[in-house]
Amino acid sequence: MTATMQPKSEAAEVPRRGRRTPGAGQETRPRGRGLQFGHWWWALPGITLVIAIHYVATGIGGFFAFTNWTGIGAFEVTGWQNFEAIFKDPTKLGALSNTLFLAFGSVFLGNVAGLIIALGLNRVLKTRYILRTLFFMPVVLSPLATAYIWKYIFDFDGPINAFLMSIGAEDLAKPWLADPQWAIWTVLVVLVWGSTGFAMVIFMAGLAGVPVEVEEAAAIDGANLWQRFRNVTLPAIRPAVAIATTLGIVQGLRVFDPIMALTGGGPAGATETLATQVYKQAFALGNFGGGAALALVLAVIILFFAVIQQRLTRSNPED
Amino acid sequence: MSQHSRYSGLKAGALAVPTIAALVLTGCSAPTGSTSSGGSQEFSLSFATSNTIESPFQVLGEKYMEANPNVKITFNPQPNDSYDQTLRTQLQAGNASDVVVTSPGSGTGRSILPLVQAGFLEPLDDAAKELLPEGSEALFGTDGKVYGQAPEITVVGLVANETAAKAAGISEFPADFSALEEQCKKLASSGKSFIALAGSAAPNTGLMAMSLAASRVYAEDPKWNEKRAAKETTFADSDGWKSSLEAVVTLNEAGCFQKGAAGAGFDAITKGLASGTSVAGFIPGPSWKQLKSAAADSEFNVRALPAEGSGQSFVYASANYAFSINAASKNKDAAKAFLDWAAEPEQTKAFAEIDGALPVTGLDSYDFDAGAYKNVGGLIKDGKYGPLPNSQWPNSAVYDALATGVQGLITGQKNPDQVLQAMDAAWGQ
Repeated sequence: MTATMQPKSEAAEVPRRGRRTPGAGQETRPRGRGLQFGHWWWALPGITLVIAIHYVATGIGGFFAFTNWTGIGAFEVTGWQNFEAIFKDPTKLGALSNTLFLAFGSVFLGNVAGLIIALGLNRVLKTRYILRTLFFMPVVLSPLATAYIWKYIFDFDGPINAFLMSIGAEDLAKPWLADPQWAIWTVLVVLVWGSTGFAMVIFMAGLAGVPVEVEEAAAIDGANLWQRFRNVTLPAIRPAVAIATTLGIVQGLRVFDPIMALTGGGPAGATETLATQVYKQAFALGNFGGGAALALVLAVIILFFAVIQQRLTRSNPED
Repeated sequence: MSQHSRYSGLKAGALAVPTIAALVLTGCSAPTGSTSSGGSQEFSLSFATSNTIESPFQVLGEKYMEANPNVKITFNPQPNDSYDQTLRTQLQAGNASDVVVTSPGSGTGRSILPLVQAGFLEPLDDAAKELLPEGSEALFGTDGKVYGQAPEITVVGLVANETAAKAAGISEFPADFSALEEQCKKLASSGKSFIALAGSAAPNTGLMAMSLAASRVYAEDPKWNEKRAAKETTFADSDGWKSSLEAVVTLNEAGCFQKGAAGAGFDAITKGLASGTSVAGFIPGPSWKQLKSAAADSEFNVRALPAEGSGQSFVYASANYAFSINAASKNKDAAKAFLDWAAEPEQTKAFAEIDGALPVTGLDSYDFDAGAYKNVGGLIKDGKYGPLPNSQWPNSAVYDALATGVQGLITGQKNPDQVLQAMDAAWGQ
């Protein structure tokens, strides 16, 4: 479609890569039989590796979802049995519910916080470069290492309870990560803390493309701060919103290491997610077939929400 | 440089990269042990480690190398929490060590029976058969063959800090469960706890429940697991198991656990017992030696958990680990020679001393009064002991259902019936 809209003269001047330009044979270097840059087959090693390592491995994993393999020895094909077991087991359904709660909770809170910080640190503020680094730091730190720091913070003998006791609120002190009501919220706090900096960077990149003149024009027209954000800034950073939310949802749906470090999925499954269940079934309990089935369910869920989200946030309906 | 030679160089490079990569990978996957023609023997040994203290498996291996200078053992220690998966993956891939440490039965990822079924272990000779703990034959192999060699007897019950108990005013260790409840209440009022519990660590909550079931289930019916396997009973129908899980709730309500126990890890046990803020913990017997190294002034003893009635005491004492030989090993002769040496009385005694456990042979003449096992010596001499129940369970999901279920009992998320039903469901997986 782009080619038909291209001006004829321009199209004639820009030959397609790897094709001889009519009438330019004298000046074009003769095509050798050796390796040449810019050909599609340069990507073959990469494509082969991706297919062999990613798609073939995923396909084999998908096959094991229909077996009773324990990770060693022989196995039998059991059809949809593993999937039936997943949807009949309240623990797995609880893990699914926790997964969705943590994914959407962290995306919503992380993006709102990231956008507010990005707007605040976009211009004017002199210390914005230092503050940007500080807010981005959680993203570059190891999730496992930071989870252990949070584990200490939420520990029964940790600083939160010490503070509560110091102000005479002993009754509020509790083992936060082992409390059935509070554990999932403490995990959410840690996830939001880790994802806010990432969203902030994406929004800052988007805000860099918003012309100052348009914002100033809107201000001269009498638009207040909220109206300028709602009608000028937000539409302009729509692609950034799409990227931040898509990556956030995918990241949130497959969250694993912070939960393993913080709660291990406990207490009694209260913070179990599909990703931790995949690990537990496949590697801790030797139910590889069940773990593969759970992984397949998780992959389908991620794909479903990624597609839906892309549809909702795309800026050009013709994309 | 001409175009032609540049392209030739690129071609050579394109071919060289995968060739070198293949060579490197081949080199990486080459077996670590080999038998040379010069008479020297090599083999590798995998075992799990969970702390910085030197593993008894490694110490024994080093002693073997001292006694046999022509032998080289490559040690492959693995973190305990990932050992089962590492072992299974390596066995499946064909690059596991020549000698691997396994567990009797079928209840864990490193258990002998499923590994035998998958064809990964080599049958052992008479030296290993002679070390089989009485009554545990079925856990070490099938069809009369033995696939694991027991290195020691591990007692599992309570490890108690006797010095801390006396300092807390406990002149006499509780003789029964009701006395234990009373002691718990007294200690809780003084800011201490009788038991240090790692409530967030499933192995610890599971061990506690099994310890409670010792006197309530297995003292009366040591063959209970066989009946469960034959579907003559279930966990949900067992009064003993229901009573065991109700006892968890009782202990929790009596304040037996330290504050914040539900979210505590294993460090809470080490810290509580070494500092004396807690009196006892549900940990394997050999841990007394490690605790002693952290708190040299305290006396640590291994005890059975006080039973409901005075005559119902029962303790778990069995070989919880075993040496096995990888069926795919190319150094089986060297590995078997090591196992034969390790089966000699002198070595079994030395191994038990290094680890702080009981020797796998000679328990009849063992001097219990001289060491940390003096309080369980009577039970062992009277035959009131048995293997850990989960070693006889068909898969690790049953123990997981128990361990996470106990966590749910402590936090109020579950009741005993729900936990028992989950265990029955896991049994059939």
